[in-house]
Amino acid sequence: MADQADFERDAMQYAPQLYSAALRMTRNPADAQDVVQETFLKAYRAFHSYTEGTNLKAWLYRILTNTYINTYRKAQRRPSEVELGELQDLYLYKRLGEASGATQSAEADMLDDFVDTDIIDALESLPEVFRMPVLYADVEGFSYKEIAEILDVPIGTVMSRLHRGRKALQKKLWELAEQHGTTGQAHE
Amino acid sequence: MSSGCDHAIEYIYQYLDDEISVTHSSRIKLHLRRCSACMNAYEFETKLKGVIRERGRTEPPPELFDTLRALIQEERRQDG
Repeated sequence: MADQADFERDAMQYAPQLYSAALRMTRNPADAQDVVQETFLKAYRAFHSYTEGTNLKAWLYRILTNTYINTYRKAQRRPSEVELGELQDLYLYKRLGEASGATQSAEADMLDDFVDTDIIDALESLPEVFRMPVLYADVEGFSYKEIAEILDVPIGTVMSRLHRGRKALQKKLWELAEQHGTTGQAHE
Repeated sequence: MSSGCDHAIEYIYQYLDDEISVTHSSRIKLHLRRCSACMNAYEFETKLKGVIRERGRTEPPPELFDTLRALIQEERRQDG
C-alpha cells in the first residue's frame, strides 16, 4: 500500500510523458492538459490502492487511458475495428527502396528527412484503436504485456493491432515523403 | 527470398521489440548474419523505431508541474 504523501515524489516525474501521450490522443493541447490533470487527481485519490514497488508508470498510463476514453469517447465506448486494408510487410522500406534505386542502405538514410511534425502527424493520423498500441510501444517503450494491462485487452490483440498500426503509420509516412518530394531525388 | 527470409520478416517486429522466444530469436539472428537483404531491412526498422521514439514526443508547457502540484495540494487540503 502506497502512502499518499509520497505521491508527488513518485508520480511527478512521469508528467511530461503523460502529457505527450495525452496530446497524441486528444490532438489538442488544452484537452491534453485536462486529461493529465484529471489523471493526476484520480491517481492521487487512488494511490492507496497502488502497490508500492509495482509498475507505477504503467499504473498511471492505465488511468490516463481510461480518463481519455471516458471523457472523449463517451458516445462510442467500444471502438469499432477499423479496416486499414491489407498492407505489404516492410511497407515504407520497400517504397523508399524503389524510390532511391538499389543503393545499399539508402532507405535508412532517407529516414533522416522525416522531421518531428511528420512523425507526430503520422502518429495522430492513426485510428485510435491502433494509435494507442503504437504510441505505447514505439514512443513510450512499454512491453506487450504492459500494453495489454494498460489497454485491458489480451496480449494477442496488442500484437495484431501493433502490427497493423505500424504498417498504417509507415503508409502515412510514405505519403508525407511523397508530398515533401523528398523521395527519389535527394539521395542519389 | 528463402524460407529463412519469410521467417525473419514475419517475426521482425517481435525480434525488434525483444518479445520473441529463444528458438525464433536464434534462427533470425543466424539468418540475419547470412542475409544482407534481411539485415538491411532489419536495420531500417530499428532506425525507424528510434526515429519515432525521438521525434514523436512533445514537451509539456512549463507551467504543467505547478498546475499539477497546486491541484494535489488543494485536494490534500480538502481531505483535511
